[in-house]
Amino acid sequence: MRLELRDISKRFPGVLANDKISISADRGKVLGMLGENGAGKTTLMNILSGLYKPDSGQIFIDGEERVFNDPVGAIQAGVGMVHQHFMLVPVFDVVEAVALGAETVKDAVGTFDRAAARKRIVELSEQYKLDVDPDAKIQSLPVGVRQRVEIIKALYRHSDILVLDEPSAVLTPYETEELYTIIRSLAASGTTVIFITHKLNEVLEVADDIVVLRRGRVAGKADPKTATRQQLANMMVGRDVELIVPKGPAKPGEVVLHLEQVFVRDDRLEMAVNGVDLDVRAGEIVAIAGVQGNGQTELVEAITGLRSADSGSITIGGRHVEKSSPRGVSDLGVAHIPEDRGRDGLINPMTVAENYILDSYHKAPYSKNGVFDLKAVRERAAQGVKDFDIRTPSIDTTAGSLSGGNQQKVVVAREFSVPVQLVIAAQPTRGLDVGSIEYIHRRLVEQRDAGAAILIVSTELDEVLAVGDRIAVMFDGRIVGILTGDDATYENLGLLMGGASFGGGVAA
Amino acid sequence: MTAAAVAVPATGEGLAARRALRDARIRGVAFAVLGVIAVYLATSSFAIPASFSLWIQQQGGDSAVLQTTVGTLWVVAAVGSAIVAALQLIRGAAFRWRPWLFVVIAPWLLALLANLLSGKPAILTNVIAGSLELATPIAMAALAGILSERSGMLNIALEGKMLIGAFTASVVSSLVYITTGNVLLATIVGVAAAMAAAGLTGLLLAWLGIRHKVDQIIAGTVINIGAIGITNFIFLRVLQHNTEFNSPPSVEPMRLPLLADLPVIGPILFSAKPYVYVGYILVIFLTYMIYRTRWGLRLRASGEKPAAAGTVGINVLAIRYRAIFFAGLISGLAGSYLSLATAGSFQMEMTAGKGFIGLAAMIFGAWHPIGAFFAALVFGFADAVQSLLSILGVGVAPQLLASVPYVVTIVVVAGVVGRVRGPASAGQPYEQG
Repeated sequence: MRLELRDISKRFPGVLANDKISISADRGKVLGMLGENGAGKTTLMNILSGLYKPDSGQIFIDGEERVFNDPVGAIQAGVGMVHQHFMLVPVFDVVEAVALGAETVKDAVGTFDRAAARKRIVELSEQYKLDVDPDAKIQSLPVGVRQRVEIIKALYRHSDILVLDEPSAVLTPYETEELYTIIRSLAASGTTVIFITHKLNEVLEVADDIVVLRRGRVAGKADPKTATRQQLANMMVGRDVELIVPKGPAKPGEVVLHLEQVFVRDDRLEMAVNGVDLDVRAGEIVAIAGVQGNGQTELVEAITGLRSADSGSITIGGRHVEKSSPRGVSDLGVAHIPEDRGRDGLINPMTVAENYILDSYHKAPYSKNGVFDLKAVRERAAQGVKDFDIRTPSIDTTAGSLSGGNQQKVVVAREFSVPVQLVIAAQPTRGLDVGSIEYIHRRLVEQRDAGAAILIVSTELDEVLAVGDRIAVMFDGRIVGILTGDDATYENLGLLMGGASFGGGVAA
Repeated sequence: MTAAAVAVPATGEGLAARRALRDARIRGVAFAVLGVIAVYLATSSFAIPASFSLWIQQQGGDSAVLQTTVGTLWVVAAVGSAIVAALQLIRGAAFRWRPWLFVVIAPWLLALLANLLSGKPAILTNVIAGSLELATPIAMAALAGILSERSGMLNIALEGKMLIGAFTASVVSSLVYITTGNVLLATIVGVAAAMAAAGLTGLLLAWLGIRHKVDQIIAGTVINIGAIGITNFIFLRVLQHNTEFNSPPSVEPMRLPLLADLPVIGPILFSAKPYVYVGYILVIFLTYMIYRTRWGLRLRASGEKPAAAGTVGINVLAIRYRAIFFAGLISGLAGSYLSLATAGSFQMEMTAGKGFIGLAAMIFGAWHPIGAFFAALVFGFADAVQSLLSILGVGVAPQLLASVPYVVTIVVVAGVVGRVRGPASAGQPYEQG
C-alpha cells in the first residue's frame, strides 16, 4: 500500500517535535528514514502507529485519509510497528506473544484457539523464511530471532506497511545482514517498509529512497544509488562532520596494560576468556573487535577490577591488579567507559553534578573530612559540562533525562577529569548519533596523543577501523588475530570474527 | 570418593559441577543425620502405642486402623531417611532428590505426631478433612492474590478485604435472617454482600494504585489498617450490645450424593461445607481461564510486560481494575467463610493473618492456582494438626501450638520456595498513552 504523510506537526511542551513533515512511500518500497536522536523520527512513527495524535496534518493510505485514535486503529489500517525495545512478553512462547491482542477464540468462554494461531505463524515463518520455532519461549531466544518474532507479529495482523524503529541497534553484523534479506523479501512481496535508523550504511544498503530528518523537519531527500555517506551525515547533522576523525600515526611508547594468559569466567561460571595475551602501549589505540558475547565484556571487567580473573597476570603501568578493587584500578589513572552506561556508567536518578564526581567524591577537592564541599562540586561539574559540551538544562538535571549522546559525554567528562594513563572504552559510541560519535572519537584520539594507552572494545567494524591503530579480534574467548595497516579490512575482520584464522595475524 | 566425583569434567564447567556435588553431599549428610536422630528417638519409645484410623465408609462407619508403637514409626522414619541419604550420596549431583523428600517427610510427620500424642489415638480422616476446611479460605485468598498479581497489581490488602467480608457476611446474614427467617436466603444474601463489600474495597485499592499511582504496598497496608479499625469500632459500639445483629445462621456441611459414599475419599473430600466445593471449582475454573483463554493471555501479559499489551491495543488499566475487583469478590467469599462457617459470628480481627498466609501460598504455589491450592493444604494441615494436638491436650503450651501454621509459613517461604519468580511487572504502575 502507498503511504503518505502530509504536513504532520506535533508539539510537546517546549519542543516542536515534528514540524510540517511530509513523506511518502510506495508499495513494495523501502523508505530509509535517517536522523539523529531527537530529530523527530520516533515521534513521527508513534503518530503513524496511533500512539500519539498529530496536532495537524493528514495520513493517507492508498490515497484515502485515515485518522488513528489508538494503536488498534493503526493496526486495522495495516500499519505494523517493530519497536526498538521489543514488545514481547518474555515468559510467553512465540504463539502467545504473537497472537496477544489479536487472538481468535473458539467458544463463549473465550478459549484461545492456539492451534489456528500456531498454524498461521508457521505459514508466515515459512513464507518469509523467518525460521522461527513457534513453541520456543521468548526469553530463550536470541535478540535476532526476537526481532523476527516482532516482524511475524506485524504480519500476523496483516500489516502491509511495516515500520522498523532502529532495528539493528541490538543486532550483530551477521544478524543485521539477515535482517536486510528479510526486508528485501518483504518488499518484494509488496510490503511497504519504513526503516528508521541513524546508521548511514544501513540506509544505503537497504533503502529504495532516503529521507533525512533534522530537528523535527525534513532536512532533505536522497537517492541511495547516488548519495554518499558524507552527504547524508552532513544533512543529518546540519554541518560538515568528519566520519573518520583525522589522526596521525601512533607513537607507541612504554607498555601500559599487559595481559598474560588471562582466564576469566562468566556469570554461569563458564570460561569466557580463554587465555588472552595482549599489550597496550602508551600513545596507541588498540581496538578489540568481535561479535558480542565472545568474552570482551568479561575481559574488560577483569581489567577494571569488576570481576576477578581465574588465572593469569594483568598489570597496569607495571603494577599487578589481579586482586585490585575497582577503586584501586581507577586510582592508578584508569578511565573506564563501560559498555552499558545506563547500568554501570551513570546513576540515572542522580544529577549530572553527582554523576560527575562518582569516582572521586571521597577525595579532595570534593570532600573534606567526609563532608562534601558543594561549592567545589558544583564548580568542577559546571566546568566539565562546559568543557565537554554536555547539552543539559543544568548540572542539577538527572542524568537519566539526558539524550544518549549527552549521557555518554557525562561519563567521558568524569573519566577524563583526572589524569589518565589508560583508557578502557567498551562500546563507547553504542546508540549514539553521528555528531556524538565524532565527538567521542575525537576525545579518544586526543587522549592518545597526550600519551595515554587506549583500549577500545567495539562490535562496530566502522568504529574499530576508524580509530584503532592495531585491531585485535576476539573469538570464543581468545585473541585470534591482530591486524594493522593494510591488513585491517572489512573482509579480514569479518573472517576472523567468524572464527577463521588469518595468515598475517598472530594466531593464539 | 563417589562415582559422580570421578565423572566431574576438568573443563570450564568444573566449578559449577563441584558446587553441585558439594551441595549434594551436604544434603546426603543432612538426611543421614535425620536417620540417626530417628533411631535415637526410637530406642526409648517402643513402649508407647500409636494408633491411626481412617474411615473406609462414611462418618461413623467402618474404619481401618493402624496399630503400632511410636518406636516402630521412628524406625520407619529412620529407614526412609537412610534410603534417601544413601541414594543421595551414591548418585551425587545427578540425584533428583525433591520427589524423594516425601519418603523422608511423611514417616517423620507421622512419627512426630504419634510421639506428641503419646498413646492417644489419632483419626486421620478428621485431620485431612479438617486440613481441607482450614485450607479453603487460605486457598481462596491465594487465588485472589494470583488474579491481582498476574494482572500486575500487588494485593497486600487481601487480609483487610477478608475481614470486611467476614464482617459484612455476618451482619447482613443476621439481618436477613431476622426479617425473613429463611436460612438459605440469609446465607446467600450475606455471602453476596460480603463479596460486594470486598469487591468495592478492591476497587478502592485499584483506584489508589492505578489512578493515583500510590505505592501498592502502602495502599494495601492502609486498607488493612482501615478494615481493622472500622470493623473493630462497629463491633465494639454496636455488635457487642446487639448480639442479634451478629448471629448469622451457620453454614453446615453438605454431603454430595454418591460421591460422599466413596470409601476413604468420600468422607474426606465430599462431606464438607459448600465452601470447599466452591474452592475446588474456583481452582479448576481459574486455571482454565488463566492459561487457556484470551482473557488469561491478556491478564498475564498485563502483569509481565504491560507495554507489550498496550502497543497491541489492549487496555491494561481496565484489565487491572477488573482483576482487582474479581480478587475482591473472592477474598470477600473467603472472609464470609470465617464468620458464617467457622466461628458462627464475627469476631474482632478474626482473619488472624489468613490473607497473608494466602499470599505465602500464592508464592509457594508459584502463582499457579493448582500449586497455590496444594500450598494452602500444607498450611491447612499445619493448622489441623495444631488443633488436633490442642484438643487432645498434649503437654505443649497452647500458645506455642497456635503458632505452628505461622512457623510453617516462614519455613516454607524462606526455605523451600527458593527461587520462584512472580509476574515481572507486579507492583509497577503502568502509564497508558
